[in-house]
Amino acid sequence: SEMSQDMLPGPYPRTPEERAAAAKKYNMRVEDYQPYPDDGLGYGDYPMLPNKSQYERDPWYQWDQPDMRHNWGEPMHWDFDMYIRNRADTSPTVVPWHIMSKHFFIFLSTMFILFGLGAIYPSYRPVGPKQYPFNDLYLEKGGDPNKKPPTVIHYEI
Amino acid sequence: APPPSPAKLYRPNRYVSLPAELDPDTFDLSPEKRRAEAERLAIRSRLKRQYLLQLNSPSPPAVIENPALIRWAYAKSQNVYPTFRPTLKTSVLGAVYGLGPLLFWMFVLKADRDRKEKQIQEGKRKQPSLSVFF
Repeated sequence: SEMSQDMLPGPYPRTPEERAAAAKKYNMRVEDYQPYPDDGLGYGDYPMLPNKSQYERDPWYQWDQPDMRHNWGEPMHWDFDMYIRNRADTSPTVVPWHIMSKHFFIFLSTMFILFGLGAIYPSYRPVGPKQYPFNDLYLEKGGDPNKKPPTVIHYEI
Repeated sequence: APPPSPAKLYRPNRYVSLPAELDPDTFDLSPEKRRAEAERLAIRSRLKRQYLLQLNSPSPPAVIENPALIRWAYAKSQNVYPTFRPTLKTSVLGAVYGLGPLLFWMFVLKADRDRKEKQIQEGKRKQPSLSVFF
């Protein structure tokens, strides 16, 4: 592109003049402009915008790009591609998050504990060995039809 | 006492944000806020005017470049290495994310293979009936 180097992002701004120039470059107010903390992680002077997804923006305003809910020239969030409407959504929930996670983890842990106990200490009705008819399936198991099969009695009187 | 209202219970965190109705900032009508909003509106309308002039011009350009998009792409790709600085935090994170998975999987797979070898030596392993080797 034909943008000059001073219109592109640069290193972390140290003096107030650099901050003002960076705010003007990114089309932001000087008071709104807040760069990422200088940890050496590679952000440079890119502004730190609030972590809100594009879902939270007004659906009825006439955006320049309606599907992205983004205006031309407006500074984009560092994680813009995460906050588009097909992906992460940070809209406020009806139930607060801590109550939802509390209910979920209580349910999940209860089910895990109960299933675990059921696996360690199985309980079922008393069973005996299976009883087969026709003298313990003598013919089906390949016994000689000409010979008399051994009688099998499964009861005792 | 009556139970706390849901508005008081709501707490924003990293995954959900505070709605505007519960944010006291929306109801703050001080002149400073109004001036700030007016300045933001001035910036927005200037940008909108630039965009619409290009869009509705008699001979519009083939592609209307968005400088914000170019800056975003540049910042995420080409501005990372010049602004990177080796500090304690970046060194530790680099070691953890770079070497951690490699060493972890090395040890896991080696231990698994040793266990299988031990089982074969003891004769406890059921060899598969099909084999692609001779």
